[in-house]
Amino acid sequence: MISKHIHAIWFVVHFFLVAAVCFAGIFSLIAQGSTVLPSVIDKSARKAELIAAFALGKEAPASNPIRQAIATYLHAAGIQAGYSFFAPNVPAYHKLTLELFYADGRVEYESPHVTGKAAALRLDSLLDRLADERYEPLREVVVKMLALSIWRARPDVKKIRATFGAVSPPGIGDFEGGQRESFRPIFSYDFSLREREKQ
Amino acid sequence: MTQGTRTSTALTRRWSAELMAFLFPAETDNWLTALRIGLGLQVAVYALFLKSDWHYLFASTGSGLVNRVLGEAITSFDSPLIPTLGWLVAVGGYLNIGEDAVLSIAWACLLCMGLLLLGGLFSRPAAIIGWFLHLCAAESGGLFAYGADNFMTTGLFYLMLSPLPDRYSLDYRLLKVQLGSQQLLGFWRRVLQVHMCFVYFAGGLAKALGSGWWDGSNLWRSLTRPPFNLVSPDILVRFKYGLPILGISICLIELGYPFFIWIRKTRFFWLVCILAIHAAIGLAMGLYLFALVMIVLNVAAFGIGDPSLTGVRRPPPQGSVRALQVG
Repeated sequence: MISKHIHAIWFVVHFFLVAAVCFAGIFSLIAQGSTVLPSVIDKSARKAELIAAFALGKEAPASNPIRQAIATYLHAAGIQAGYSFFAPNVPAYHKLTLELFYADGRVEYESPHVTGKAAALRLDSLLDRLADERYEPLREVVVKMLALSIWRARPDVKKIRATFGAVSPPGIGDFEGGQRESFRPIFSYDFSLREREKQ
Repeated sequence: MTQGTRTSTALTRRWSAELMAFLFPAETDNWLTALRIGLGLQVAVYALFLKSDWHYLFASTGSGLVNRVLGEAITSFDSPLIPTLGWLVAVGGYLNIGEDAVLSIAWACLLCMGLLLLGGLFSRPAAIIGWFLHLCAAESGGLFAYGADNFMTTGLFYLMLSPLPDRYSLDYRLLKVQLGSQQLLGFWRRVLQVHMCFVYFAGGLAKALGSGWWDGSNLWRSLTRPPFNLVSPDILVRFKYGLPILGISICLIELGYPFFIWIRKTRFFWLVCILAIHAAIGLAMGLYLFALVMIVLNVAAFGIGDPSLTGVRRPPPQGSVRALQVG
């Protein structure tokens, strides 16, 4: 009987956390104004999101052991993220184009790539993350690493210009009218590789 | 004791007893067999799909795509206690095993755990090690992760806690390991069932809040968006009037899942619809791992036998509390 009670308590705590994560995600979408709901409720949604975040310990300092314990449990159980895939709307996808400048004046265009389709899916997932404002501090270092992966295969490249942007596919009507996808640059970096070459 | 106190105490006892009856139905281990074999297949396919890119994705030295250490640093912002491949590499360092070798061993072990789960040999250690290795990879490659990783972690997490082995496993057939109690089997199936209800309700609600799922434009965007654009847009255009119907259907099926999956008369229909959605996602969008794990979790939760029929009815607990009827 004690074992049953322990299981029952775990069940309640576990699904309380699952619910908190799920609803924090939904409230966040509403608070951002990306849903069909009227903007009047944005503030309430923000408050609700904060309450859910509080329940998950996210309002505590990063070094707080309770926050860390909850985060560890969430990751261990695979419940750290909500389930709002492709919701409320399907976002644009993202592209990273690398312009490779050679010493002899040649210019080539390349994109980071992997061998298998499963890994390619993950690479696209990484690019979509880079567009997220939360990943803004990491953008340069990640793009630099991606550029480096291309440079390793072409050591005679002198400079790489990395342009990252969002690609919006046309709607059905626009597609029927002959319109194709449009590219909107978000940021770009120039990486010079001369220093590295000298080493 | 006042009349009011007595009533509330009786109500609390009744609810508590009903909750326990709901959480601990006696259950066969058929669903556990499905979960074990399904997740074993999933782990093996995951490892095989990533074979050619494993080192490229997870190396921390100059040969990798994005330094693994970066992903691990992001994970450690959440908590430094979350396992990563860096832990294994550190252990390898003490044993004078290089990073490349550790990554190869981790990959080979993950594949072995998948195969062991498929056969049901050393089921629990295989589930624990499989969960741990997959978690390490998912967290180290957090920047590359997507939905399938979380569902795999959740599935393996529940599998390793479930009363393994099942009667179809080699553990039981060859090693004569004792089977788990029927009530614990029922409990862990309930956990999986309730989890799936949360998944679809949250997913359906979030979709229903977007205008694009009501007019079909989100379905169009999903299917024409690289790398999911396996079906030609010219073919999709021919079915443009069907897209809003499909989009609305997806919202309703997901939102209705936590209600209609428990009702005996609608369970089969709802399950078939959900499985069809996942099969279509796998085939039309190339999300094979995601489709497979969702199909496995759904089949284990609601597809093997009828939860309300396979649950062996027990006499009501003392006090003649009515067991909660499901379905």
